[in-house]
Amino acid sequence: MEGGLLRVDLTTGTIKKERIPHALFERWVGGSGINDWLMWEHFLKHDPMCDPRSPDNIFIFGVGPLAGVGSGIGVKGRLTFKSPCYGIFGDSAGGGKFPYMVRFSGFDYIVVTGKAPKPVYLHICNEEVTICDATHLWGKGCEETHEMLKQELGDYPSTTHTLSIGQAGENQVGIAGVVSDGWRIHARSGGGGVMGSKNLKAIAVQGNGGVKIDNPNGLLEWSDDFRQKLDGNEAAYGFKRRGTLGAVEMYQRIGGNFWRNNQGALFRGEEVRSDNWVKKYHKYSEVCSSDCYIACDGRYKIEGHESEQAKKFVGETFRHPEYLTTASGAGAMDIRDWAEVAHWGKITNDYGIDNQDLSCSIGFIMELKQRELISDRDVEELFGKPQSLEWGNIEDIEELVKNVSYQTNPFGWLFRDGAYWGALRYSEQKGQNFMKYAIYGKGGASFTEEMRPFPTWMNNMAVASRGSDHLKGIGLIEKFQRKDLSKAYFGTPIAGDPTVPDLKGACTAVLENQVALINSYGVCLFHWLLDPLSYAPESYYGEAYTAVTGIDRTKEERMLDGERICNLEKAYNSRLGLRREHDTICERWMHEPCPEGPNKGRVAADMFEQVLDEYYEWRGWDKETGLQTRKKLEELGMEDVADVLAADNAIAGESRSGRAVHVEMKASDDPGIPD
Amino acid sequence: MQETRQKELVNGEVWYRPGDDVPNVPTKLFALQNLCTDCKMCEVACSLIHSPEGELNPVWTRIKIDHAPQVSRVSKDGFGFMPAICHHCANPPPCAEVCPTDAFYYDPETQAAVIDQDKCIQCMECVPGCPFDTVFVAPTGELLKCDLCGGDPACVKACSTRPEMLNAGKQYPRLPVLFYEEKAAFGQILRQKPEARDEVGIMQAMLSKGKVSSAA
Repeated sequence: MEGGLLRVDLTTGTIKKERIPHALFERWVGGSGINDWLMWEHFLKHDPMCDPRSPDNIFIFGVGPLAGVGSGIGVKGRLTFKSPCYGIFGDSAGGGKFPYMVRFSGFDYIVVTGKAPKPVYLHICNEEVTICDATHLWGKGCEETHEMLKQELGDYPSTTHTLSIGQAGENQVGIAGVVSDGWRIHARSGGGGVMGSKNLKAIAVQGNGGVKIDNPNGLLEWSDDFRQKLDGNEAAYGFKRRGTLGAVEMYQRIGGNFWRNNQGALFRGEEVRSDNWVKKYHKYSEVCSSDCYIACDGRYKIEGHESEQAKKFVGETFRHPEYLTTASGAGAMDIRDWAEVAHWGKITNDYGIDNQDLSCSIGFIMELKQRELISDRDVEELFGKPQSLEWGNIEDIEELVKNVSYQTNPFGWLFRDGAYWGALRYSEQKGQNFMKYAIYGKGGASFTEEMRPFPTWMNNMAVASRGSDHLKGIGLIEKFQRKDLSKAYFGTPIAGDPTVPDLKGACTAVLENQVALINSYGVCLFHWLLDPLSYAPESYYGEAYTAVTGIDRTKEERMLDGERICNLEKAYNSRLGLRREHDTICERWMHEPCPEGPNKGRVAADMFEQVLDEYYEWRGWDKETGLQTRKKLEELGMEDVADVLAADNAIAGESRSGRAVHVEMKASDDPGIPD
Repeated sequence: MQETRQKELVNGEVWYRPGDDVPNVPTKLFALQNLCTDCKMCEVACSLIHSPEGELNPVWTRIKIDHAPQVSRVSKDGFGFMPAICHHCANPPPCAEVCPTDAFYYDPETQAAVIDQDKCIQCMECVPGCPFDTVFVAPTGELLKCDLCGGDPACVKACSTRPEMLNAGKQYPRLPVLFYEEKAAFGQILRQKPEARDEVGIMQAMLSKGKVSSAA
């Protein structure tokens, strides 16, 4: 197994083509694992404390060995960089056809550094790589950029697929995402801001080269077996029909939704339910990822008869809203109509901005208005004009999205790095503490699900390497009360009981390792969730990985591979000065009781420290500082990493004091508010 | 099947010259309109079977997904993709008819017309000759045409199922876009009323013949 690596320095315009040797796959599996390693290597030569918007930051795109080879698990590409909004490790996954096409171009990994003097895009056509002028694309939305590049580059030698930023990325908004093929956003962590800071508008790829498969027949047999397994899986049927939207009802039952900046845990109104979506709007899936047996994605076209509000959007067509688009639109900002929620998804995608972080910023300012903590004059100061800031008002919301994407007024400047930094900056400006209304977890990242009653979920928000996130250590065992899974994983059903803290930290630790494996294979996470035991990444998916790469491993060795990747991401954050005190969540989650639903009255603080302690124990890290130990790193064969950490005072027992990353980041990164 | 005259190729294969009685492929590929999601599983599986050793590359496929939206009972907007598949035409196939070197022969198992690469001079006459644009050219110049994988098409096995597309509840757990089906059976369906010929109609007919498994 080898992979192509493309290194582009935009400052000098140098393009280097390298091979990723087999040994690197042996150690880091592929996909996100290799991305992490490339970033780690980069920051051995460059200052890890650099401003994420500076030319020193690195921007990596990578696809794993299982992507696009007919496994049926769906393709996911992965971006890795230092996050401009949270100032820590940042990465983000996205599907579509771009990662599939990248494989056939011969470059599985694309590394961009430096900064171009003027807007450019990168055109990769098999071996031929060009840095092209993108002045004509600058200022265009993601959909239009994709269409223009498709027109420009044509269908030979293959169709063109793109990765682009919208206006938000161009303006270096911290929470800007990167959009694949104009449809599918790599939203989290702010990859768009990094691309914008490099003046890189897009990456376009065409390719018709081959991918070497170690055992093609073995792979075909495996994927035939996988398809048969999915055919017999009832959850797969539901997922094909609704994608992640089915979570709306499920969370409504368990009190896991997020309403009005988490002042509630249940959606209001009856309209925003997945049944209504399927009945009124669901159309054919023609925007799905490649190589996927499920194809949960779909497309809608608003005809105008669906609801009163739908009349405003007649003819609008886009991909259907995911659960988190719904949770941010219908939840965080209380939009109560499907057409409006879909429109919210479309505009945030087109400007290229993470709708979770943005919805929490908008929710924050709406809540201040609702509580009359800010006056009409304050609002005029923020927006330069009167603004209603009513919950669920889509016209208002659309304007706020533009304010942030185009950075046109103080609101846009304050909230360019999400709700946490916005709230902090605004509190400072007004001399008043508004932080209890800001929703955030580690690094200041926002998340639009209720987590107070779900200890693993809450712990994920506090420890995820890329900042508050559920997709690193997905807490399915406890959230869905899967006592059967708990038994299979730990030999006891207790992890499936969310009312007690036992084994919740363990869930995060073990599942983070499994997710790291899936991300490194370059496939989608959701197939695994349909039957976590039968489709285990360390055993069942591992067979497909072996058929593709020829790297054979036992189950236990594969789990160690996953753990090694998690430890590398952690190590990078430790170098930045992150310690136990940074593994935390916001005040509302920590101390305000859950307001409603079956878990009314639950507070995260009840179990928080206990779960976190247990997580560090299972990780083999130091509980007091939250730092890694040399013993653990040596067990994982990461002596080289341990040495770097020791030199940076970032290893347990060998460190003196940590650097406070939040303070440092703010000093270098405050956009400054003009008078 | 009627008896047909056979001629031996140098390599022992059976082949037919235009004008001979040619066999009629009894079982062939069918695709249901609009249900395709462009997941590319069929292309990838086809290339895994047919690429030079150990290499996966969609340029070696004998099947291609086209964006071909069609309006039907289910898809009023005409969203959708359609796999471009070889229809295994008979009497004789247009691709074989235009071949100046008679490089086409018929697979004894499936009766599918296949290209003898030793006889093929890569003139590419068969590419425009195909009314469905399903003869493809590999980067080496080799002409690629569906050979039905000797009777067990990889694309059909790889085709993901789309039961949710019909909005018909959990009736059809296995609803592939691609079928490997007897022409006679399919022909019966196609002779029915127009609404019985769209996705839903074909599905129901296949289901009643026990061709599609149903868990409901």
